Amino acid sequence: MPALEVLRLTKRFGDFTAVDGVTFQVEEGEIFGFLGPNGAGKTTTLRMIYGVLTPTAGEVLVRGKSVREDPEGAKAHLGVMPEDAGIYSRLTTEENLVYFGKLRGIPEGELRGRIPQLLARLGLTEKRYVLADKLSKGMKRKLSFARAILHEPDILLLDEPTSGVDVMSAREIRSMISDYASGGRTVVISTHNMWEVQQLCTRVGIINRGRLIYVGSVEELERLTGEEEFEEVFVRLIRGEVAE
Amino acid sequence: MRLRRPRSGSEGVVRFTRGLADLGYSLPNRPWLVVAWKELTEALRDRRTIINAVLLPMILMPIAVGLPMLFLSPKTSPPRIAIVPADPGALPLVERITSEVPGNFTIRTPEFNATDAILKGLVDLVVVIPEGFSANISQGGSARVIYLYDPYQLKSSTAMGLVQGVVDEYSKEIVSERLRSLNLSEEFVEPIRAVSYQVTATGAAATAESMFGVMLLPMMVGVLAITGASSFALDMVAGERERKTIEALLTAPVRRISILAGKYVALTVLAAVMGVSTIASVVLSVGVMAVAVPVEELVPPQAAQAAERAGIGLASLSKIFPQGTSPTVILLGIGAAMLLAALTGNAIVVMGASFAKSFKEAQQYVGAITGIMVLPMIAVPYAPARLLGPMRFLPITSVAMLARDLIVNPGDVAALTTSGLASVVYLVAFLLASAKLFGRESVVFD
Repeated sequence: MPALEVLRLTKRFGDFTAVDGVTFQVEEGEIFGFLGPNGAGKTTTLRMIYGVLTPTAGEVLVRGKSVREDPEGAKAHLGVMPEDAGIYSRLTTEENLVYFGKLRGIPEGELRGRIPQLLARLGLTEKRYVLADKLSKGMKRKLSFARAILHEPDILLLDEPTSGVDVMSAREIRSMISDYASGGRTVVISTHNMWEVQQLCTRVGIINRGRLIYVGSVEELERLTGEEEFEEVFVRLIRGEVAE
Repeated sequence: MRLRRPRSGSEGVVRFTRGLADLGYSLPNRPWLVVAWKELTEALRDRRTIINAVLLPMILMPIAVGLPMLFLSPKTSPPRIAIVPADPGALPLVERITSEVPGNFTIRTPEFNATDAILKGLVDLVVVIPEGFSANISQGGSARVIYLYDPYQLKSSTAMGLVQGVVDEYSKEIVSERLRSLNLSEEFVEPIRAVSYQVTATGAAATAESMFGVMLLPMMVGVLAITGASSFALDMVAGERERKTIEALLTAPVRRISILAGKYVALTVLAAVMGVSTIASVVLSVGVMAVAVPVEELVPPQAAQAAERAGIGLASLSKIFPQGTSPTVILLGIGAAMLLAALTGNAIVVMGASFAKSFKEAQQYVGAITGIMVLPMIAVPYAPARLLGPMRFLPITSVAMLARDLIVNPGDVAALTTSGLASVVYLVAFLLASAKLFGRESVVFD
């Protein structure tokens, strides 16, 4: 069973079709890159996958569970890092994690063990008792990442995880994504950073104007376009300049 | 090179609220409870909470009520009264005034510039007893006493009222003496005497304090229904959207109704704190009143006498409630009505805020809703008796009526059931509607 199945997913806002019949699936242990220009429908698709937007048509199955029919059951398998960090500024770094840990039903003992470990791994130990309001943008992204993996989900959905993050922190986050997938878990990552895609992703889906135009491995898409730099691959695929 | 120890740990308010994280760890994994913990933790970290929920009601109201009372009370701040006895024969009246009226007195000669002294604020009142005062009285005629006061200074008018009371009494004694000398009874000059009886649902006489309670408490319950912990409610809904935390929250495998339930629990706790501090502020204000000013001194002398006949004594907290009722039971009832009111108000605020895409927009919506709700609320204390029945069935006013019935009509089970049941039905309807509207994707993700 695929970890994630997206079937003919469609979302309309009035007359505007943001996502139009998108279908793909992601296997266990894969790091799937979900790419596209601004406004292509990436975030809308991800939001339907993690169940905060209701599709106009189509279906999302998370480890076989329908997001529409069993949203809580499906969400339990997901760890999400949304585009906006969404950190509670009047809670401390630790309290932000306690909050989501408890909402995810993590037992007290496990939570007390995991939070300091995660903070140490992400270099946030010193900020444990600091109000999140005082954290830098990069630290907030790291905290958002910590929150997404706190419950050790089967599938991690990351919307631009390294956006606005300094080089060192971005490297750290990438390393953790890599480690996470190597443990047999699945990662879906939306990003504009093509170097990151080349480094991390085993497969890539490219969406443009709400339609999924290509799905394949990085190597397959490089062969398709005859380009070695993935940024060039991306540009040519979006422009439809493919030598077939 | 000496390395500086890295600064770690909490700062400011967090230092004193570190235990909240521990509390969070140890909570049972009930989503509503966890959400309530988070909301209360955030509220506690917000200075506005302490100011809005505790300091303002606890300090401002007693100050607003108490300070003027303390300033106006002849007991704590005696008026400065100058007496100009142009007639040496008026000495008995002067002695009577100076001994019975609490004030700082000076005796002046007829050359005294009374107008100047009043306008410059040197004295609050000048009492002139003109020449021929005693002669006019002894000849069976009418004598004048002249008061010079500043109509724009309450203290000046109050001082005049106090002196007037003594002079009236003195005048009555002269009338009695004259009537006796003519062998006439007092009824001769008082052909009609008004006798009033209070008609109350409990049959017990109203006290000044219970009248105060009937006017003030239902209105306060209503105001709480309208404003409630509305700033917190706004923050918990529109603020969550504005700070873009709602998306992360909705990714948790928790039903929206559980999230909203947690928010309402937190709002209820905050409203309870506000309710307790509001009730405490009323009690404190009444206490300040009781200490500073006997109730009789706040009302015109004639009304004070009528009140005395009707059994109204000095201010006492227990007299807020009608005789024969249990203040504890009524206070608990009013507390419940306040919570009901606060929850209703908050549910309406959540509904209004659910349509807004920004905090500012939410404030505008809620401002408009508040404006609409204020009108029926103001009507409750002033409504004619025939409208009180229908008001038990209307949203918002039903809660205010519940509080009113608890004070005025504690034995009327039908009235209490009607207003209580209507309040609960409206609350449930508003809660369900707010749950449907909370987190609407067209607003959250537009």
